[in-house]
Amino acid sequence: MKKQENLFYEFLKGLWEINPTFKQILGMCPTLAVTVSAINGLAMGLATTFVLIFSSVIISSIRKIVPNQVRIATYILIISTFVTIVDLVMKAKFPELSKALGPFIPLIVVNCIILGRAEAFASKNNVVRSFLDALGNGTGFLLALLALGSIRELLGTRSIFGFQILLDGFSTWMVMILPAGGFLTLGLLLGSANAYTNWKKRKSKKEILITNSILR
Amino acid sequence: MKKVLQVILVLTFTAAISGFVLSSVNNWAKPLIEENRIKAISQAIFLVQSEGKRYEKLNFNEMDVFEVFDENDQSIGYAVVHQGNGFQGTIKLIFGINKDLNKITAIEILEQVETPGLGSLITEDNFKNRFKNLNTQPLIQVVKGKKPSHDNEVQAITGATISSKAVVRIVNEAAEKLKKLNGIKK
Amino acid sequence: MELIIIFISAALINNFVLSYFLGICPFIGVSSKISSAVSMGLAVIFVMTITAIVSWLINNLILIPYHLEFLTIPSFILVIASLVQFVEMVIKKVSSAIYRALGIFLPLITTNCAILGLALFAQMREYTLIESVIFALGAGSGFTLALVIMAGIREELELANVPEPFQGAPITLIVAGLLALTFMGFAGII
Repeated sequence: MKKQENLFYEFLKGLWEINPTFKQILGMCPTLAVTVSAINGLAMGLATTFVLIFSSVIISSIRKIVPNQVRIATYILIISTFVTIVDLVMKAKFPELSKALGPFIPLIVVNCIILGRAEAFASKNNVVRSFLDALGNGTGFLLALLALGSIRELLGTRSIFGFQILLDGFSTWMVMILPAGGFLTLGLLLGSANAYTNWKKRKSKKEILITNSILR
Repeated sequence: MKKVLQVILVLTFTAAISGFVLSSVNNWAKPLIEENRIKAISQAIFLVQSEGKRYEKLNFNEMDVFEVFDENDQSIGYAVVHQGNGFQGTIKLIFGINKDLNKITAIEILEQVETPGLGSLITEDNFKNRFKNLNTQPLIQVVKGKKPSHDNEVQAITGATISSKAVVRIVNEAAEKLKKLNGIKK
Repeated sequence: MELIIIFISAALINNFVLSYFLGICPFIGVSSKISSAVSMGLAVIFVMTITAIVSWLINNLILIPYHLEFLTIPSFILVIASLVQFVEMVIKKVSSAIYRALGIFLPLITTNCAILGLALFAQMREYTLIESVIFALGAGSGFTLALVIMAGIREELELANVPEPFQGAPITLIVAGLLALTFMGFAGII
């Protein structure tokens, strides 16, 4: 029972506790660039998760035979292979999305999240754990992109995923679609995430103090 | 010695597998990507030359020019792709022009990065329709704040003069180039 | 004339950091002191320029003639990784003070999306060798400019009363947003 709980944790931690965007502050470049709409955010999140999972699994399975000096080069080779696969498949099957995401699909290869997880986790853990870790981090990243993309699309064009939600009377916040809007929204979201974390910490500290004083 | 061998083996092996996988995926993807590209160009050409049924790429190096033919295989004019500097970046557009090279049939904006809500309005029908049946001789002129009074005038978008002027400049440039190239061809 | 347009466009109008969102990680990480910002900026300009040259050579002498465009990503990134390794060794020998100041961020130039982004853009726009070099110089200068301005502002911010949740990355991003707004003013100068 304990092992199963443990495994689920490997997945869960990526969603909030070590969320790549809000906690690790990694992968900022695509986060800001592609979140002008919810669908772009979703596509980028899926593409990144795909590369993350496959790279982590492969890297984990060969972790014992890769000599230390060349591990970064080997990891980069593996990651860039999967990124190229995603790039080619998107260009062939989803040309409009590929054009919309532009150079950021090839740029997944330098997304610090992937190399980061490979270094920090996949190179030191077995395949099953690495898979779950990758799945969790990827999903956490995807959720962050989705949140950012939806906010910017909603305030900038009154719609989410192309479906109009706000009434026509709402004056669109054009800045949301511009780079400036991306920075501002992410900064505010990060600040709010930190505020929530701090509030939770203070709350649990308070609870511990109260419990201790009752016990005395 | 063993360590160096291991390093070489791992790197070579990884590179080889990666190369093999990538070239296989590439072989699968290449025809599909080419298909997409041709579909996009055809779509654009027939958007600006609505009577067209078939097109042929002309052999000019400096510009993409397509001759368009109708259902009776008669030449009805050309579709020209050209680009130039807009307000925020490069604007790429395609326009249809008649056989005598003096009337625009229609324009389509292919790529632009103009200011959203202002310059980006050049992609709206409202602006594009102003180019239908526009005279190119004398050269197209931009008018601001009032309706065009001549057949070769286009009204700029309010608040997006530079983007509007850029579009007109690109079309004029391409039309002039085409006249020169056509002269050489004949 | 074309070259001047490419330079100014890359440095100001389409600034790599503030318009294209490339190079954000070092932008947030190294911009707390002006001196480290300048060092990082110069290192980036150097790596970018050499990368532009080498990637142009690889693209035009190997990838295109042999129809190997699908190997772009692996080849470019391996070039960048080797270059950064080399620059790291040089800096370590020349000035260990700068080496220590840049710390972990020096090897992280490899994952700096601005460098790979630059190589990919130059390939996409089919720049000539000269155009690629000017493009790299412009992009690197723009990156350095944004970084130094941000460092200057952050040094002042150290003395200001930033609410605790916003300290560090959040306030940097918000300031970056304001910077991005101001850089929009450069549009239309060419």
